[in-house]
Amino acid sequence: MSLSQNRLQEERKQWRRDHPFGFVAKPARTPQGGLDLKTWECAIPGKAKTLWEGGLFKLTLVFPDEYPTKPPKCKFTPPLFHPNVYPSGTVCLSILNEEEDWRPAITIKQILLGIQDLLDNPNPESPAQADAYNLFKKDRPAYERKVRQVVKENQPV
Amino acid sequence: MSLWVTCDSSLLPYSRQLCRSFITPPITRKRKAAEVDNDQPSPKAATKAHGPRHATSSDRPALSKHSSAATEITENTERASPASSASQKKRDLATPATTTASMDSDDDFMSDVSSQEDFGMQGSDNDSLGEDFGDLDAGFSDDKDIFGHKRKPYEVEFKVLDPPDIENEQLGQINEVSAILGLPPESAAILLRFARWNKEKLIESYMEHPEVTLEDAGLGTNFEGTAKTETVPGFMCDICCEDGDDLETYAMRCGHRFCVDCYRHYLGQKIKEEGEAARIQCPGDGCNRIVDSKSLDLLVTDDLKERYRELLMRTYVDDKENLRWCPAPNCKYAVDCAVKNRDLHRIVPTVHCFCKHEFCFGCSLSDHQPTPCTLVKMWLQKCEDDSETANWISANTKECPRCMSTIEKNGGCNHMTCRKCKHEFCWMCMGLWSEHGTSWYNCNRYEEKSGSDARSAQAKSRSFLERYLHYYNRYANHEQSAKLDKDLYLKTEKKMTSLQSSSGLSWIEVQFLDTASQALQQCRQTLKWTYAFAFYLARNNLTEIFEDNQKDLEMAVESLSEMFEKPVSELAELKVDILDKTAYCTKRRVILLSDTAENLKNGEWSFNVEW
Repeated sequence: MSLSQNRLQEERKQWRRDHPFGFVAKPARTPQGGLDLKTWECAIPGKAKTLWEGGLFKLTLVFPDEYPTKPPKCKFTPPLFHPNVYPSGTVCLSILNEEEDWRPAITIKQILLGIQDLLDNPNPESPAQADAYNLFKKDRPAYERKVRQVVKENQPV
Repeated sequence: MSLWVTCDSSLLPYSRQLCRSFITPPITRKRKAAEVDNDQPSPKAATKAHGPRHATSSDRPALSKHSSAATEITENTERASPASSASQKKRDLATPATTTASMDSDDDFMSDVSSQEDFGMQGSDNDSLGEDFGDLDAGFSDDKDIFGHKRKPYEVEFKVLDPPDIENEQLGQINEVSAILGLPPESAAILLRFARWNKEKLIESYMEHPEVTLEDAGLGTNFEGTAKTETVPGFMCDICCEDGDDLETYAMRCGHRFCVDCYRHYLGQKIKEEGEAARIQCPGDGCNRIVDSKSLDLLVTDDLKERYRELLMRTYVDDKENLRWCPAPNCKYAVDCAVKNRDLHRIVPTVHCFCKHEFCFGCSLSDHQPTPCTLVKMWLQKCEDDSETANWISANTKECPRCMSTIEKNGGCNHMTCRKCKHEFCWMCMGLWSEHGTSWYNCNRYEEKSGSDARSAQAKSRSFLERYLHYYNRYANHEQSAKLDKDLYLKTEKKMTSLQSSSGLSWIEVQFLDTASQALQQCRQTLKWTYAFAFYLARNNLTEIFEDNQKDLEMAVESLSEMFEKPVSELAELKVDILDKTAYCTKRRVILLSDTAENLKNGEWSFNVEW
């Protein structure tokens, strides 16, 4: 079995054994009903005692063939209102960047926890979308209102 | 490099056309005239002139360097253009400024051509270069003649290094720091790379805060244990999730342990795909520990080690201010030169690589003497932006005599109404349309005042453009001619072979063609850049001298170029002439460059731009 398949199997095992509360992470189903280990459907809950509390935000992780040498692509579906999320939904985070802090030893759990942390701690140094970034920089109350609305739209079912 | 390439290629078709259409003819005509008048008797005159000149220089031992050069210049210029007695006075003015050139005999010229060896020897004699010359003046001043080699004012001290030299230099510094700080060499190497090879600063900061420095450099303070792979019972690799008691694993001193396969794969990815070497970090999450060369040697295959060493060498040369790779394609050499970035407004540091490529140490572009790097960049930028546009504007448009808007006439009659200011004028004479009365569509007036006034105003506003085009056209012409001369150079070899068989000359006797061709190339390169330089010069007495020098060199080059094109049968008879002209061209080039470099160094030039 290839390195990436092996590692993803193991990630799945680890996740089923133990994972942080409220998080979801599972491989997608192929049309034939089999498991597609290269695509994972995940969801991240907003951290308690933050603006994002109560929301559950869905995202897809796509693992390249070179995983874990190269990081997975993490994409909010639908795209999320956040300064560090591109209009396409792709997350901009240093540990997800091959040229920056990505290391082969980073696990899916660490990725999801990292993104959860990013929700309430946006990095204004690397904006990825204009809407959220401008509001965040120029009109914080409006930004917070908008986040609350986003949380309302993304309730766990 | 990229800038050069783009500009070069974009100029090519354009300059060819220019060269054919109107630039070459005037020069050729001038050259022809000079030839008919003076150059016929010149070979004999020149050979005669050599004798007494030598006598003069040996007669006056102390000051001969100066005065003999001066005499020679005057003689040579007279030979080239005796008719220009009016400019004689100016030239006398010119000579004192150029007398520092120590061209006493033809021997000097010969050594100049074979300077490749000279530089090599000079370099190996002087190993301490780069450390001793912190100061600019020591770096290129010709007054302090420590090594007994006379450098011309436009030359700089430098040394060409091949990869083993660079490797040794690196190793020497690593071992030195390793000994001083009492650290293993592979750790000292990481520290040095972190400090961009600034030994003094590194040692100072290490002495003050050893722990902080080690941590910042990605080393950690733990130096226990040796680098080896081992099997650890109950271990599972965090990357591939493999386990098994016989799994070979490796951890650096940070303790992050992975299986050897994953480690190898990771290092291979970094080295091969990302070209990273000096800053490969531990594969563990959030660990900043740098992978050292000892660990690397233990883990990867030989071809990767080779690549790793190469990458390290690359960062070494990139990091050191006194080193620069030769930009020629596939050249493996680097050049060591003490000229600093801040000195570049006072000197143009041209260096010669072992691969024969001449380039500027300051900016890596091909030799651009005598123009300083900053002006070269401005000029290339300007040419890229403006030349075609300016030419088109100049050829196809006129300006409204009232508001100076640029107007293209794309059809219709001569009655123009400016769309901007509604001024009505005649396209032909530029005068007021109202004065044309009923002679519409047909302007045959010339003397009327309004027309000539408008034309002179027009001329004034066009003068900037024309000035630029003047310099640009000459610049482009020399660039083009240098290319053509290069083609000719390729034919020279054939010529030399046929000359050997037809005239019974030996190989060594036809080498003069090769010498001539190289001199021609070099002089054209210089001439080309004199025009870019002149474009940025503010006019004063110095520029007059400069232009005289430029003119002398240009005339000599053009006449050599013409001799060079003669049929093979005539070449043997022209040998003395060609040799003589070659030597003369080279001398004129040295004089021009020396004079310009002296003034640049002393800050004598005034420019019409801020740079």
